Amino acid sequence: MLSATCRRLVPALRGPRTPSAVAGRYLLAPGVRSFADQSDRAEEPRTFHPALLRFLVCPLSKKPLRYEASTNELINEELGIAYPIIDGIPNMIPQAARTIRQNKKQEEVEQH
Amino acid sequence: MAAPRSCGLWRYCCRGWSRAAGDCRLPGFHRSWPGATPSARLLSQEKRAAETHFGFETVSEEEKGGKVYQVFESVARKYDVMNDMMSLGIHRAWKDLLIRKMHPLPGTQLLDVAGGTGDIAFRFLSYVQAQHQRKQRRQLRTQQNLSWEEIAKKYQNEEDPLGGSLVTVCDINREMLKVGKQKALDQGHTAGLAWVLGDAEELPFDDNQFDVYTIAFGIRNVTHIDRALQEAHRVLKPGGRFLCLEFSQVNDPLISRLYDLYSFQVIPVIGEVIAGDWKSYQYLVESIRKFPNQEEFKEMIEDAGFQKVTFENLTTGIVAIHSGFKL
Repeated sequence: MLSATCRRLVPALRGPRTPSAVAGRYLLAPGVRSFADQSDRAEEPRTFHPALLRFLVCPLSKKPLRYEASTNELINEELGIAYPIIDGIPNMIPQAARTIRQNKKQEEVEQH
Repeated sequence: MAAPRSCGLWRYCCRGWSRAAGDCRLPGFHRSWPGATPSARLLSQEKRAAETHFGFETVSEEEKGGKVYQVFESVARKYDVMNDMMSLGIHRAWKDLLIRKMHPLPGTQLLDVAGGTGDIAFRFLSYVQAQHQRKQRRQLRTQQNLSWEEIAKKYQNEEDPLGGSLVTVCDINREMLKVGKQKALDQGHTAGLAWVLGDAEELPFDDNQFDVYTIAFGIRNVTHIDRALQEAHRVLKPGGRFLCLEFSQVNDPLISRLYDLYSFQVIPVIGEVIAGDWKSYQYLVESIRKFPNQEEFKEMIEDAGFQKVTFENLTTGIVAIHSGFKL
């Protein structure tokens, strides 16, 4: 009986421990964990290469960027712009970047 | 309403920025003006309509980027087939030669600009892998009398087959990157590859990050070549190497005549037949003729701050590899 439960346990334990080789690589990086789970199922990794965060900067100010997981964007706080990551490729063209308004009132004024 | 306006503003800002920087010809321009805000950049905008060439056409600098984008968007899907058809497969040998000249060792950090379809990146990864294996074999040969514990340990430590190498592919064209990413999946290249959509004139990378910068058949499509070269210099580590594979000038008069005949009479026809796109391939041929020759380009590389600049002609100068170091 003990061996039977063991047999049932083994695959259950092995399941989450051995994700695909690609996902395994991303799991090592902090900050992109939630995306690694998704890429486990998807054939193509949805996230960008975590090593990029080490040297990716804003092409305009050449300052480091912050990765925002909720919107999947790279954010330059100083200039208030966000670079989208589409299909795992960061789009670092300033023309494609989104401007973020720090001031909500300003945003309302612009909309009207 | 606000979004398109801000988009236009950004375009306006950066064009002025890159033009101003190009005129200044200062290698460390960005650094010398670190507090530059978008509004400051707006002030630097000049009302001068600078002209450049798009093949044999003369267009404004603003137009060129868009036109080149359309060309590569259109040719992306057939890019590899067309390269094989037009060069009779020789482009593969040229690219192999570039990698052999680079001779990357495991751990090399490479930035491949305008490398959308991954031709250089995949070759780099294969080369590094081969180097790593050779190194391991050499190590094994020197350690003939290993204890079984040591052997077991060797099998347990799964080493990175690339020795920490990373190639970052940066291209301005989404379609080319898409093709490259798909190719990477098909060929099984997963590790050591990162893709970035970016402009060679405004690289989104920090200073002193890469051991090698490559640009293969890309720099002649850049609007401001001097600006791209300065950016290459900025992102390379001190001691880093710049390598450029590009079409150049054939010096032999007879071969030059044949080459011209082939370029202008045959290539656009192949383009029409295979890819259904005469114009794009006519542009490719014309842009080759407009590109500076070996010596002129060498001087441009030196102007950007590179040292020990050399070039090597391949196939009688149809293409050339330029090399320079950031020292």
